[in-house]
Amino acid sequence: MKKLLATLAVSAVGTALALTGCSNSSTAADTSGPVTLTFWHGYTEADGKVLDQIVADFNKSQDKIKITTTTKPWAVIGDTLLTSLSAKNGPDIVALPAENLPVYASKGALQKLDDYYSSSAQNASLNPRAVEMEKIGGDYYGVPTGFVPLSVVYNKTLFQKAGIAAFPTTWDEWVADAKKLTVGADSGTPQQYGLALPDHATVGNGVWASLFYGNGGAIVDGNKSVLDSQANQQTLAYWAKAVHDGKISPTGLDGIASDKLFSSGKAAMEIGGPWMASVAKENNIDYGIAAIPAGPKGPAASAIGISAAVTSQADAAKKAAAEKFFDYFFSKDNATKWSLGSGWPALRTDVPSSAVSSNPVVASLTDIVGTARPLLPGVADSTDVLTAVDEATQKALSGGDPAALLKTASQSVQQALGK
Amino acid sequence: MTTSTTAAGRPRSGRTLSRWLLAAAVLLLTAIVLLPVAIIAFTAFKPTAEINAFPPTLMPTGWTLANFTRIFTDLPFGRLFLNSFLFAGGVTLFALAFDSLAAYALARLDFRGNRFILVAIVASLMIPFQATLIPVYQLVAQLGWVNTFAGLIIPRAADAFGIFFLRQFFVSLPRDLDNAARIDGASEFRVFRSIILPNAVPALLTLAIFTFVNNWNDLLWPLVFTTTPDMGTITSGLTLLTGPGGIIPYGTMMAGSLIAVLPLAVMFLIMQRRFIESVATTGLK
Amino acid sequence: MTATTRERAPYRAPAPLGGRPLRRRGLAAKAFLFMLPALVILVAFVFWPMASALRLSFTNASGFGIEEWVGLSNYARIFTDQRILATLGNTALYTVLFTPTALVAALALALLLNNRLLIARGFFRTALFLPFVVSLAVAAFAWTYLLDPQVGLLTYWLRALGIQIGNVLQDPVLAMPTVVAVAIWKSFGFYMVIFIAGLQEIPESLYEAATIDGAGPWRRFTHVTLPQLSNTLAFVVIFAMIAALQAFDQIYVMTGGGPYRSTQSVVMELYQEGFKKLDLGMASALSYVLLAATLILSLIQFRFFGRREKDTL
Repeated sequence: MKKLLATLAVSAVGTALALTGCSNSSTAADTSGPVTLTFWHGYTEADGKVLDQIVADFNKSQDKIKITTTTKPWAVIGDTLLTSLSAKNGPDIVALPAENLPVYASKGALQKLDDYYSSSAQNASLNPRAVEMEKIGGDYYGVPTGFVPLSVVYNKTLFQKAGIAAFPTTWDEWVADAKKLTVGADSGTPQQYGLALPDHATVGNGVWASLFYGNGGAIVDGNKSVLDSQANQQTLAYWAKAVHDGKISPTGLDGIASDKLFSSGKAAMEIGGPWMASVAKENNIDYGIAAIPAGPKGPAASAIGISAAVTSQADAAKKAAAEKFFDYFFSKDNATKWSLGSGWPALRTDVPSSAVSSNPVVASLTDIVGTARPLLPGVADSTDVLTAVDEATQKALSGGDPAALLKTASQSVQQALGK
Repeated sequence: MTTSTTAAGRPRSGRTLSRWLLAAAVLLLTAIVLLPVAIIAFTAFKPTAEINAFPPTLMPTGWTLANFTRIFTDLPFGRLFLNSFLFAGGVTLFALAFDSLAAYALARLDFRGNRFILVAIVASLMIPFQATLIPVYQLVAQLGWVNTFAGLIIPRAADAFGIFFLRQFFVSLPRDLDNAARIDGASEFRVFRSIILPNAVPALLTLAIFTFVNNWNDLLWPLVFTTTPDMGTITSGLTLLTGPGGIIPYGTMMAGSLIAVLPLAVMFLIMQRRFIESVATTGLK
Repeated sequence: MTATTRERAPYRAPAPLGGRPLRRRGLAAKAFLFMLPALVILVAFVFWPMASALRLSFTNASGFGIEEWVGLSNYARIFTDQRILATLGNTALYTVLFTPTALVAALALALLLNNRLLIARGFFRTALFLPFVVSLAVAAFAWTYLLDPQVGLLTYWLRALGIQIGNVLQDPVLAMPTVVAVAIWKSFGFYMVIFIAGLQEIPESLYEAATIDGAGPWRRFTHVTLPQLSNTLAFVVIFAMIAALQAFDQIYVMTGGGPYRSTQSVVMELYQEGFKKLDLGMASALSYVLLAATLILSLIQFRFFGRREKDTL
């Protein structure tokens, strides 16, 4: 018996060793060869191919630095970055949704890039609003790789049926048109909605931020919650009334359910990202994309932002190499190429819409990129802040008192900021 | 040959009507339970526009194979399939061997510390794996096992669930069996192999199915322990198929899942027969 | 040979030759050899990480190097923060809804599918097992496809019949039962299979004897099936309860913890603290609170099941 058990144990260990043998020990000795960096990003579509091409071109342009890219969906990066970095086995450069950057920075996962911003020639031409996303507690921790305002995608066929010729430009027009586009409001459950207005987990968490901005409000101001401002109370009451009385949108929607509603043709408008163009196309919807109509205090939109950062596991040589790549990435040629490839506006202010006119969606987004503001820049505990906002908006749209809800939410936001 | 029956008794002539009523009732129940599964299967054959269309449909109106072709063009599907088999199969084989050995000791050998080890093993089930994922990863990384089958398989080569599960079954087998064998001079390993294991086939099969299915479907584990696409499994590979703006292309995902589920369903169909046979062939009952 | 009496084997079996023969010389060494492979794996990949998590629970570790000893403050926060306390309540509710329902459903179906009157048992067993086999993300899609209040198939059918079920996943009262229902749908098949395997082990002779004694179906169930199934039952109860207390996946994909955190379970909170807010100390503390709660509930359960169950563990 002992012999058998021993055989079993030995074979188990043997198999383990054999399996280990298969590992491609990627620990290339960094002696004389080029500095090698790994770069994780979540651009899984055609955009990813363009980014990989820019990286390949960079590798070819010189022989001291070699960057390898790994594509993982954003959610997967979120789930695996912590574990991999905890064992110093993660990426040297990582692209992250901008609202996740502050928490990683504040917990010591990312390196300061202040030296890059003070030395690089490129950053003077970068969109300052996009660069704002990278500033956490007075230091810079990343560079922008994407910055696009939320916009409205609309169903042209339904607009024609309702006899609406031009896309609305103010909130009042917007709600009035949405009412015209809502069919069967009297029955209580319309067959068609004017707008899919999510009340929680919205696209890029930015729908309500956009609406608050439009009336001169905001969620936070530096380290202070301004969620329960007069302006925000008005905003929330305005939209709660439109949804509740006008039935222009169902309640209880999140971003995904809103996409579904628009894709099914049951909602005529939705606030979304630039990708809604291809989603609409896939679902055979004749679509248009327009800026979010201006609020009482002017046009404004929350931006969806992506940042690339250098992780704590990269040594000084790797960090310097990463900064060289950023310089290359932000050159005017590559910025234009990346804008067209990603379908997002260029990150430089000197690439006008005329330079990207070959893609009309990019061109129109480039025209409105000036109205875009980053979501919660520098806020480490964005999870709790956004949960508090979601609770207030969802409850208000299902009939709660906006002022009271915002007051409670603001306390939670302040608590999250104080941590 | 006798097969076991439950309290409901045995078939008799003149019970034909009740047999059909029973079958009809179970069929109705099964249909309700399988409605979501049918959605998955039919969605795999729908074009995107129809998946999102209103009014929604159960069966596709315009059947398409486009979702399936996308899987084979966009993913190294054969490789992922093979990886899934090696990973889930490897874990299952190791776990069955190691768990049954340990369970035998805990169920049949009355050694000092038996109770303590058993309680420790059961207690280890009570901590959510999310809490230990990071220390486990750090260990696997130190061993250089990230992106290897060793890293995927070895940490799961034995598990508390399986040990506890088999122990419960072993404990309820009659003691006269192995005591008689011991008196005849059989070694403990012989008792384990020739008496306990053959009598525990249903339990072993149940554990095998459970372990295999769970690992086959596990998403986070392969995502965390592998970073290169060619080391992924079907389940983790399908997450790479995101559409514009990270929106999941449901048709493709359902097609991939359908292909992924088929081997599991066939395996179960074959194995569930053994539940019946195993009891009949041991000659025990 | 025939096993005529199949009483549930007691922990210390009566010895055929008197005394306590199972405690023999070298037994511990033999037992250790049997357990060695499993123990090596468990110590390295389960017990050591558990100890590591216990240590982390007294720190504010982020996983990237920052790590200070903070004593019991993580635990103190769990028991003073209303939001976190609520997740304990949600988990309790989930467990209370899930465990008994899943068990009764699984046992009833196991009995039904083990009945020789039923034709095509193999087909039905496989069909009812299918929900367990599909991955959860895919199952979640199917359920949302059915339940979406505007464009869902089931809501569409029911509306045609004049029934409005509303937005069940966004209703603070109905969201939890809905998530639990989906979880039961997903997992009953596995418990059912365990029960079927257990039922197979019950010797026919016991039913025959009971029938001769004039026992009807219900008496045969309570006097033969249930006692003979007690080991299986004890296992399934503990396991289903542990699974419920660790509910995460189904909540993550169906509601994300909402609406208004009404489905936020302890493990959802743990995941957010650990992987979203990068507070490993807090996540680890939560996992040990859950461990303690699970242990206490298990002990209560053994009490509840009575003496017979106590000696199975």
